[in-house]
Amino acid sequence: MVLADLGKSITGALRKMTNSTTIDEAVLDDLLKEISRALLQADINVRQVTSLRNNVKAAVNFDEMASGLSRRRMIQKAVFDELLKMVDSGGKAYVPKKGKSNIIMFVGLQGSGKTTTCTKFAYHYQRKGWKVCLVCADTFRAGAFDQLRQNATKAKVPYYGSYTETDPVKLAIDGVEQFKAEGYEIIIVDTSGRHKQEEALFEEMKQVEQAVRPDDIVFVMDSSIGQTAFDQASAFKSQVSVGSVIITKLDGHAKGGGALSAVAATRSPIIFIGTGEHIQEFEPFVAKSFVQRLLGMGDVSGLVSA
Amino acid sequence: MLSFVTSIVSGKDLSEDDVRPALGKLKEQLMTKNVARDIADKICDSVCSSLISKRLESFTSVQSVVKSAIEDALTRILTPKQSVDILAEIKIAREQGRPYVIVFCGVNGVGKSTTLSKVAYWLTQNNLQVLIAACDTFRSGAVEQLRVHARNLDIPLYEKGYGKDAASIAKDAIRHGAEIGADVVLVDTAGRMQGNEPLMRALVKLVNVNKPDKILFVGEALVGNDAVDQLSEFNRLLGDLSTLPSPRLIDGIVLTKFDTIDDKVGAAVSMVYTTGQPIVFVGVGQTYMDLKRCNVKSLVKALLK
Ligand SMILES: Nc1nc2c(ncn2[C@@H]2O[C@H](COP(=O)(O)OP(=O)(O)OP(=O)(O)O)[C@@H](O)[C@H]2O)c(=O)[nH]1
Ligand SMILES: Nc1nc2c(ncn2[C@@H]2O[C@H](COP(=O)(O)OP(=O)(O)OP(=O)(O)O)[C@@H](O)[C@H]2O)c(=O)[nH]1
Ligand SMILES: [Mg+2]
Ligand SMILES: [Mg+2]
Repeated sequence: MVLADLGKSITGALRKMTNSTTIDEAVLDDLLKEISRALLQADINVRQVTSLRNNVKAAVNFDEMASGLSRRRMIQKAVFDELLKMVDSGGKAYVPKKGKSNIIMFVGLQGSGKTTTCTKFAYHYQRKGWKVCLVCADTFRAGAFDQLRQNATKAKVPYYGSYTETDPVKLAIDGVEQFKAEGYEIIIVDTSGRHKQEEALFEEMKQVEQAVRPDDIVFVMDSSIGQTAFDQASAFKSQVSVGSVIITKLDGHAKGGGALSAVAATRSPIIFIGTGEHIQEFEPFVAKSFVQRLLGMGDVSGLVSA
Repeated sequence: MLSFVTSIVSGKDLSEDDVRPALGKLKEQLMTKNVARDIADKICDSVCSSLISKRLESFTSVQSVVKSAIEDALTRILTPKQSVDILAEIKIAREQGRPYVIVFCGVNGVGKSTTLSKVAYWLTQNNLQVLIAACDTFRSGAVEQLRVHARNLDIPLYEKGYGKDAASIAKDAIRHGAEIGADVVLVDTAGRMQGNEPLMRALVKLVNVNKPDKILFVGEALVGNDAVDQLSEFNRLLGDLSTLPSPRLIDGIVLTKFDTIDDKVGAAVSMVYTTGQPIVFVGVGQTYMDLKRCNVKSLVKALLK
C-alpha cells in the first residue's frame, strides 16, 4: 500500500504510547520524535514535519486532561488531524460538468508522468460515458506527439496534434477549438515538462493557460520526489491556477511524502494516483480514507469524535 | 557572551554529548538539502564516533570541528575511488576490434533516453562513430523519441519497433554496430520500478546476453529517500537474478535534472553512498550540450551552505 511503511511506523509509535503506564510530556516527545523520523524518511518536507510536531504539542494540553485515557485519545486525534491536514488541502476539486466542454490542462516537471496520466484520465472518464479527447501541446520533447498518439490509439480516444507546428499555444488553441466545435465534453491538454528555474518555460505555460482558459489545471507529480517538491509545486501554483494534483508512480517503493508536500504548496486536493504504466493503473484518491488506511484504522469514528 | 563561552570546550577530550547537538543541526541541514534520512544518519554517526575522545584544540568551537569533519566525510564519499575515463576505454575496445557498449537503465521518466542522446552527441564531438540501439520496446513513443535524436545528431539508429525482446534487439544492434564500424553502441532501455521483478529479470537478461562494457544507472537529482532503494534494489537484483558466476552490477551513475533543484543537491550523496560508484555524468538541462562532470568541491559546498 501507498506509504505503508510510514503508516506502520506511526501506528507502532502510537501503540507504544498506548502501552506506557503514564502519559506525560516525555512520552509525547518520544512519540513525536518517532513520528518525525518516519515522516522525514517518507520525504515529507522538513519544515512541515517541524510544524506538525509543534501543532500536535499545542493541541495537547496536559494540565486540562484528567485521565490517561483521554490523554491518549487527545494525542491520537491531534496526530490524525495533522496528517489529514497534510494530505487534504480542504479545497474542493473541480468536477467536470455534463453538457459543456470541460477543458483540463496538465502541467508538471519533466518526466513526472503527464502524458501517461492524461491518457489514464481520459480513459477513466470515457469508461464512465463521457465524450473525451486529448490535445498534444508538447512541441518540445522528442517523440511527444507519437507518444500521445500511440497512447490515445490504445485507449480509443480521439486526439489532436502536429508533427510540424512548433508553437504550443497555437496547437492548444486549434485542438481545443476543433474539439469544442465537435461537442466533446472533456478536452485534455497535455503540455511539455518544465521547471521553475527556466522562466521561458513558465511563460509558455501561462500563455497556454491564457489561450485555452482551462476549467482546471492538474499538477502531476512523481511520488519519488524529495525535498524539492514543495519549491517546485509552489512555483507552478504561483504562475497558473493549479486546481488539482495527481501523484504518479506509487507502484514503486517511494514513500510519496515529497509529493504530499505538493498538496500543502498548491493548496489543491489530490484527485487521482497513478500505480503503474498501464492505462487502467489509476485510482481516485480520497484523503480521509487514505489517512485512515495509513494509520491502520478501520474505524476512526471514536477518534474523530473524541 | 554566555553562548560564546559554552561553545568553546578547549583543551578537553570531546564526548558524544559535546558533539551530538552540533551534529543534529547538520543532519537536519543535510536532509533539507535532500540527503536521504538513513544516509544522513549514517554519515553523522560515523563522524560522531570519529570525533569522540579527540582532543579539541584551544579556541576552536565544537561547531566548527564537527562541520569540518562532515565536510571531509562528504568529500570522501563523493570522490571517485578510481577515475572513469570512458574515452580511453573506448579506445581499448577499438583496438580489440569491437564496439564499446553502454547500457542506460533506471526507473521511469528520469532521463535515460535524453542522457543517451547527450552522450551520443559528446562522443561524436570526440570523433567517434556511434550507434543507438532502441531497446525500450514498451513505452509509447520511445522508438520515435530516439529516431528524432538520431536524426538531429546524424547518427544511425537500430530499431525493431515495439513488443520485441529487448535483449535480442541489443544483441543484433551490437552485431550491426560491429559491421558498420561503430566505436560505441548506446543501448536505451525501458524505465522500470526497482521492485518490478519481471522487468528487472528482463534487464538482467539484456545484461547477461550482451555483456556491456558499462552499465550506467540514470537517477534524477529530484529523488528523495527513494534514491537509496532504487540503487540498492537495482544492484541487488542485477546480482541475485543473474545466472552468471560473477554478475554485472551498476558501474556508474548519471545524475539528471540537476538544473531543477537549486542547492538541494543531496541525492548525489545518497546515490554514491549507496553504491560506492561514481557519478559519471550530470544532466543540467534538455539540450545536447547539457551534460557535465560532477564537481565534488562545489557539491560539498552547496550541501553545507
Ligand atoms: N511505474 C509507473 N510508471 C509511470 C506511471 N506514470 C507514468 N509512468 C512512466 O513514467 C515515464 C514518464 O512518463 P510520461 O508520461 O512520459 O511523463 P511526462 O511528464 O509526460 O514527461 P515529459 O513530457 O517529458 O515532461 C514513462 O515511462 C511512463 O510510462 C506510474 O504510475 N507508474
Ligand atoms: N531539466 C531537465 N530535464 C531533463 C534532463 N534530462 C532529461 N530531462 C527531461 O526529462 C523528461 C524525461 O526524459 P526521458 O529521457 O524521456 O526519460 P526516460 O528515463 O528515458 O523515460 P522512460 O523511458 O519513459 O522511462 C524529458 O522531458 C527530458 O527532456 C535534465 O538534465 N534536466
Ligand atoms: Mg509528456
Ligand atoms: Mg526512455
